[in-house]
Amino acid sequence: MPPPVQVKADRNGFTLVPDPVASLDAIVAFMDERLEKSRDFFQKTEMVLDLRTRPMRTDEISVLYEKLYEKSEVKVVEVRLSDELSFSMAGERQKSRSVAKGTALEPENCAPIIVRNTCRSGVRIVSPSDCVVLGDVNPGAEIIAEGDVVVFGALRGLAHAGAAGEQTARIWALSIEPNQIRIADLVAVPPRGAKPAPARFEVAEIQNGVIRVSRL
Amino acid sequence: MAGKTIVVTSGKGGVGKTTTVANLGTTLAKKKYSVVMIDTDIGLRNLDVVMGLENRIVYNLVDIIEGKCRKEQAMIRDRKIPNLFMIPAAQTREKNSITPEQMKELCSTLAAEFDYVLIDCPAGIEQGFKNAIAGAETALVVTTPEVSAIRDADRVIGLLEAAMLKHISLIINRLNAKMVKKGDMMSTEDIISLLSIPLLGVVPESDEVVVSTNRGVPLVNDKSSKAGAAFRRMAARLNGEENLPLDGDGSHGFFGRVKRLIWN
Repeated sequence: MPPPVQVKADRNGFTLVPDPVASLDAIVAFMDERLEKSRDFFQKTEMVLDLRTRPMRTDEISVLYEKLYEKSEVKVVEVRLSDELSFSMAGERQKSRSVAKGTALEPENCAPIIVRNTCRSGVRIVSPSDCVVLGDVNPGAEIIAEGDVVVFGALRGLAHAGAAGEQTARIWALSIEPNQIRIADLVAVPPRGAKPAPARFEVAEIQNGVIRVSRL
Repeated sequence: MAGKTIVVTSGKGGVGKTTTVANLGTTLAKKKYSVVMIDTDIGLRNLDVVMGLENRIVYNLVDIIEGKCRKEQAMIRDRKIPNLFMIPAAQTREKNSITPEQMKELCSTLAAEFDYVLIDCPAGIEQGFKNAIAGAETALVVTTPEVSAIRDADRVIGLLEAAMLKHISLIINRLNAKMVKKGDMMSTEDIISLLSIPLLGVVPESDEVVVSTNRGVPLVNDKSSKAGAAFRRMAARLNGEENLPLDGDGSHGFFGRVKRLIWN
């Protein structure tokens, strides 16, 4: 007789596949025993719940979620409902904490936020990944991204790339003439005086511990 | 057909909103359109002074909204032009005395009776601004050619776009052609490239504005005033008339660009 739950391991981590005919109680009891027996192994891992062959109601998912977390702080981060549809349970994607056990979860990159018009004064865009602005960024506007900031126009406002501390983040613009630019935890202001016309585009990045703007 | 509801706003104070409303209103009324101008700067009213009608105020905008009077009782007819009316703001109340919904209702009622409803917006972007734009479909953003006014105009344009106003045009006020030539003042081109909205007109700097305000006689009544002429051209463009002489700041190669941008 097949076990109520199959625990599959692959390079992405662990996946729980409940058996189609198993009852919720059997599933929960099985996981309880399994975690009890190999407590440290599964401690604090993230798992995916595959419900493609055995659908569950949300209250059933909750029960299982609670039991897994209670027992070994196992977090169900994703629930797969069909081949195309799955939803994530975690608020943020967390990088794997159990690299040593070879269960590294691949961090998925979020798509960049694309702003399809000029950012006027007072507009504030915050992106957890990159940010692309198809237009100008006027003085008084703020673009804050954990990744790169790309402005397909004149950057005249405030841009902060690598807002979470990523030093290799860069700011690209057809013309960089900002109030202020920030990369990671560094701040830079433009030099005084008239600005020569830019060539094709300009890039700001951290070089030797300071922010430098190069014309390309 | 309902009349046009136009709000004149700026963000920055003192750039010429009230002057613009007074002069555009007067010009349109002289062309025989029925015009009502509403001062929504509750607490700091000025339109009545500029129009020379301050002694005739009995009821005001807040009285209409609160139901203390009919709107006809609050509307003050211009001394010389019979189809030009003004609704003054309340001087002893505050901007939270009316809501955007109430303004919207009043404006649509007025638009059913008048060809033009011109709304004089207060400075700022708070309650007064929100009240003023609530009833308008078109916005004229007034700015002067200086950095702080343009910064505020940009912010205001962003708010107007977010409020889904259909037509937003620019008026550049107090342009000093000599200073632009010397490079001491931003040119019309510089301003338009930053604000990216169509230009309705440019009004040159003029000492006559102060005199006309003090007298309570809008500039457009003076045939020899250059600023007055600029307002008259703007009113014509607002009305949809074409083939008007362009507003220049005297700089080279300028007219070609402005021609593409004039709103008509």
